[in-house]
Order: sequence, then C-alpha cells, then structure tokens
Amino acid sequence: MSAQPSIVYVVDDDASIRQSIESLLRSVGHTVAIFDSSDAFARHPRSDLAACLVLDVRLPGRSGLEFQRELDGLGIDMPVIFVTGHGNIAMSVTAMKAGAIEFLTKPFRDQDLLDAVHRGLALARERRMEAAISEELQARVDTLTPREREVMALVSSGLLNKQIAARLALSEATVKVHRAQVMRKMAAGSLPELVRIADRVGTPPPKA
Amino acid sequence: MTNEGGDDRFLLSAMVPGRAHWWCAAFVSAGLVGVLFATVPHARNVLYGTEVLLPAYAAASVVNEVITSVLLLALFTVQRSPAVLALAAGYLFSGLMLVPWVLSFPGVFAALGIDAGLQGTAAVAALRRIGFPLFVLVYAVTRNRETTAGDWAVPVERPVVLTVAAVVLAVSALGWLMVEGNVVLPRLMRDTRDVAALWRFVPATAIALQLFGFAILAAKRQSVLDLWVMVVLFTLLIETVFLAYLAGGTRFSVGWWAGRACGFVSASIVLIVLLSETTTLYARLARAALSERRIRESRLTTMEALSATIAHEINQPLASMVTNAEAGVRWLGRPVPDTGEALAALHRIARDGVRAAGVIDGIRGMFTNSTRERTPLDLNRVVEDALFACGEEAGRARIALRFRFDAALPAVAGNAVQLSQVVRNLVTNAVEAIGETGGGARLVTVRTALERSGSVVVSVADTGSGLAPGDADRIFEPFVTTKANGMGMGLMICRSIVESHGGRIWALDNTPQGTIFLFSLPCSGLPAVPSREPKE
Repeated sequence: MSAQPSIVYVVDDDASIRQSIESLLRSVGHTVAIFDSSDAFARHPRSDLAACLVLDVRLPGRSGLEFQRELDGLGIDMPVIFVTGHGNIAMSVTAMKAGAIEFLTKPFRDQDLLDAVHRGLALARERRMEAAISEELQARVDTLTPREREVMALVSSGLLNKQIAARLALSEATVKVHRAQVMRKMAAGSLPELVRIADRVGTPPPKA
Repeated sequence: MTNEGGDDRFLLSAMVPGRAHWWCAAFVSAGLVGVLFATVPHARNVLYGTEVLLPAYAAASVVNEVITSVLLLALFTVQRSPAVLALAAGYLFSGLMLVPWVLSFPGVFAALGIDAGLQGTAAVAALRRIGFPLFVLVYAVTRNRETTAGDWAVPVERPVVLTVAAVVLAVSALGWLMVEGNVVLPRLMRDTRDVAALWRFVPATAIALQLFGFAILAAKRQSVLDLWVMVVLFTLLIETVFLAYLAGGTRFSVGWWAGRACGFVSASIVLIVLLSETTTLYARLARAALSERRIRESRLTTMEALSATIAHEINQPLASMVTNAEAGVRWLGRPVPDTGEALAALHRIARDGVRAAGVIDGIRGMFTNSTRERTPLDLNRVVEDALFACGEEAGRARIALRFRFDAALPAVAGNAVQLSQVVRNLVTNAVEAIGETGGGARLVTVRTALERSGSVVVSVADTGSGLAPGDADRIFEPFVTTKANGMGMGLMICRSIVESHGGRIWALDNTPQGTIFLFSLPCSGLPAVPSREPKE
C-alpha cells in the first residue's frame, strides 16, 4: 500500500485490542510495532521511517493525553491517532488541540482507523520531505564563504550589484564573481529561485 | 398508636429517660430541699411591702403554664395520648386560675376597684391547689393505657378545642362565682394575712393527691415526661409544705415567698424540659437526615463507578472483536487470501467472546441471589484458602505470608467466595505495597480473632510504605487509589462485600511501618464449624 517504507506504532494496555489493531493494519500492508505502555514505546529505539502513533487514552500510569504532551520533550515528532473506550467531547477537544489528527471511539469502523493512519503517514512523509529539503539547502549554505553569504543576503533583499559593491566597499566586478559563485553553490537557476531558497533557510540580515 | 410504636420513641411522653435525666431530676429536687432547710428558721418572718411583687410573679407563672400547656397539646396532636391531653388541661387550668387569684388578691389591685372579699381569693387558691394534682392524677392513671387509631378517628383538632374551651369556661365560671358571685364561701381566712382553721384541709388534701400521683407514676415504667412530672409533684409538695406549714399560712412571709418560688420552678420545669428536648431532638433528626443523604450520595457514586467500570470491561472485548472481524475480512479479501492470519483473527474473536461472557458472569454473580446465600463458615479456612491462592504471587515478590489464627473462632454466616475475594484483595494489596518499597521486613501477617463484642475480626498487616495521612478514610471510595496503575475498585468492592455481610472494614497504621487492613463480621451464633485445624 505504501510506496515508501513506513511504520505504525500502537500503544494500548489491552492485549486483545493491541493485537486486533495490529492485525488490521498488517492486513492492508502496514508495518506495525505494538507496545503495552507509553514507557515501553518511549524506550523503544525508533527507526528513521515515516511513522504515526495509535494511542489509547486510558493507559496505566500516565494517560494517553498526558503522554501526548510529553512527546515533544522526548524528541518524538509523529502524528497521533487516539482511540478510547469512552471518549467525551472535552477529551477529544484536548487531544485535537494538542495536535492529534483523529480521535476514535471504540469500537470504531476499520475504515476510519485505516483512513486516519493513511493521513497520518502521508503527513509524516510530507514533514520528512520538508525536513530533508531544508537540510539539503542548509548544507549548500554551509559551503558559502562569509563574504558570499553577505552577497547572497544583499542580492535576495533586491539590491543591484552596484549598490552591493558600495555597501561592501568592493568593486562591482568582485561582486559579480561572488554572485556567480553563490548561484552555482546554491544550485539556483534564476534570481527568484535564489530568493525563495534564501527565504527558506533564512539568511542572516545584511549588516548596515 | 401505641407507646411502643416505632415513630413515638423520640417523643418525650414515650422516650425512656437517660442517666442525665435522672441526675438532673435528682439535682433539682435536692436543690429544692436545700432551700427548704435554709429558709426554715426565717419562715415566719413577714416581708412587708412585697405585695407589689405579686403581679409579676403571677404574670410569669401564667405565661409559663399556658406555654407548657400549648406544647403539651402539640405533643398530644402527635401522640394522641389522652394522658398528655389531661396534663395539658391541668397546666391550662393552673395557669388560668392564677388570673382571678391575683386580680382578687386583697390589697394588690385595690386601685382598680376589684375586691373579692376575704374568702374569694382563698377559695380560688384552694381550687387551684387541689385541681392541678387531680389533673396530674388523671395523667398518671391513664398514661399507660394504649390507644388505638380507632379511638381517635375524629380529627385531632376536636379534642384539643373541646379541652381548651372546657377549661377556659370552667375557670371563668369558677372565678366569677368565687370573686363576684354571691355564693356563700367557706371561711378560709381569718384576716388578709392569716388563714382560718378550715384552710388546714386544703394543703392536707393537696399533699395527699400529690403523694398519690407520685406513687402511681413511680410504680410504672417511666418516660422522660413521667420523670419530670414526678419532679413537678415533688416541687409542689415542697411548695405546699412551705405555704401551709412552715409559713403557718401567713401571707408574704419568707416561707410563703419560698413556696411561691418553688411553685414557679415547678411551672417552669416541664416547659424547660419540653423546649430543650425538642431542640435536641430537632438537631438529632437534622443530623440523621444529613448523614442519610450522604450515605445515599456515596451509594450513588459507587453505582456510577460500578457501571462505568462494567461498561469499560465489556466494551474492550467488544471493540477487539469488531476490529478482529474486520481484519479477518481484509486478510481473506486480499488478492492472495491469507487464511493463517484470518484464522488467528477468528481465534482472537472467540477468546474475546469468552472474556466478555466472563465479565457478564461476574456481574450476575455480584447481584444474583447466590451471592446473598449465607452459610455457616469457618473463617480460618476461608482465609487459609485465600492465602494459598496468593502464595505464588507473594513468593515471586520475595514476601513471606504469615497466618496467626484463633482456633476458637465461632462460625460466621457468609458467602465463602466473596469473603475469600476480600481476603485475596487485601493480601494482594499488601504484597504490592511491600513490593514498592525496597528493603526492610517483607512480611504480610494475617490474623483472625474473636472480639469481645462478639464479632470476628480478620486483619492483614503489611510492612509496606503505609498510607498518607487522610488516605485511610478515602481509600474505600471508588476510583481512589494510591497505586501507580490501580483502578481504585478493589477496596470499594471489599467494602461492599463486607458491608453486605453486616460487617465493617477499616485501615490503621502498622508499627513501625506499613498498614493494617481490618474487617469485622458478626458471628452467626451457630456453633463453630468442625474442620481440620488450619496450619500456620
């Protein structure tokens, strides 16, 4: 079902529920890892795959809702789908506000869970892709010399070569050389493209 | 309605006097006797000019006695005892008779032009003095007669209105005849201060009636009201002795005034008793109503907690079954059906079905008659079996279980399965409490003992971390838990089982550390169940 490898984590203290959800998800081709407590999940080494988390609200120790709030602190960033035996509106509002993508009441329709997992994984992939792009661009920025970074910032802020030369007390020819280097290193085909990249990675503001 | 009737036992006229009442009555009587002796040497000294105090005394006494009468009438409307009605009539008569007495008293209201002559006032006093003990006598004689609802099928207002009207009419007529009427009155007074020879019969008759009434009341099983009416009669006796003998009948002497004071005390006694008892009773009833409401509320939360738990317990396997079925369908609906996975899903469905049925069974077991079945049990054996079931768990946690049993334990009437569950719950809790702590003595001691009160007590003592202050009261409530992953149901179930057996469950601190859980059960009164000797 999934073009790229992904994994679904299921945390539920009830063994039957845990196994049934696992079976359902595997039957449509997901890779699944199951845990009986949030602690077991937190301790488990996570792979670098696109992932989402199916979390029971009523767990021994801290509840699923509490655990959701702690995810950021644990460095875990993945979409959360809640399942609960007896949910109420306040509970689902809390969960959704904290960033859950779905709140399902047991017993749920299989399609609802599968749809939610599908959306969760799509979201995870999207986030991963964004992260990869940002990482790549940052790597390119890292190859620039300090002078080239200055030139890039001034170019993307819309200044002409002549103005940049005046600002940096350089000759216009030197600025042209730096500019060509920036375009090459950043793999930018055009000025607008360079501006978009500069926006994304956030160039340091030009010194006055 | 009978005097023994359930609702009446809180009424003064039916309540059995407590020790405090007896002490109080004895104290009042002793005080009056003390006054009697203290005033004897000066009894005949006349206090001139004290006539002005007479209207104040009379007004206070009238108000006292009329209010007492009203309260007694109110008591009658509740209890419908003719005796109480007679007593109320007596007080009304006594209070109202004071009006013509003081109005006609020689020299007191002379300014108003009322002068009944020498004999009128004395005649009123004589009637009052003899009349009141007569009413009390009627009270004493009729008070144990049981009345049935049929006797008073008429609306309760009628006897009250008739009695009040009769007394008022009688007092008015008598007062008018004595004071204004031209009836030839016997010669009771020699002059305005001193009595004639004929007067001697009045106190004698009064004393005789008072003693007679006292004797009748003393002979019967008394109520609080009886006790205080006896005190009143005693007070009146002292008053009569003062007025007639110590003061020698001389008006406005020290003895005469002391007698009046006694009369006032007597008029106040029943009033004070009625008022204070009513207030106490009211407070007690309010407290009872409050605690009853609390019990009802806590029962309600228990039921809510129970139903939430049951809903959760059944919903879990149901949800699992639905998901497993859907997973199975998907395994079979694949291009290459995976029968192995589908079979596994089916097995899980069957398992969940059994689990749900087990939950239902448990609930039915909790409510059906089988759990209400009470058989004589050897509690030692029940505890021993429960400990056996917990042994493995304790062994895993490296905790020793010790059983100190009382071999002479009488049988208790109970349900072995339920009581065993209570013991197992408590022992499991104890094992878990010790498991949480690191070192120290790892010991759970279970004891059975026969209390002096006749109930059997089972205690489970652990050497765990103990309870936080205040927790001992709360832990039996639903959803209250001190465990990291507890549901807060175990002790609540224990309490409901113990209480359904007529027992009680509570927790104490263990020394030097840990907690003791105890429950007591009333013993059945049956002989001990012959059984093998439990081993320690």
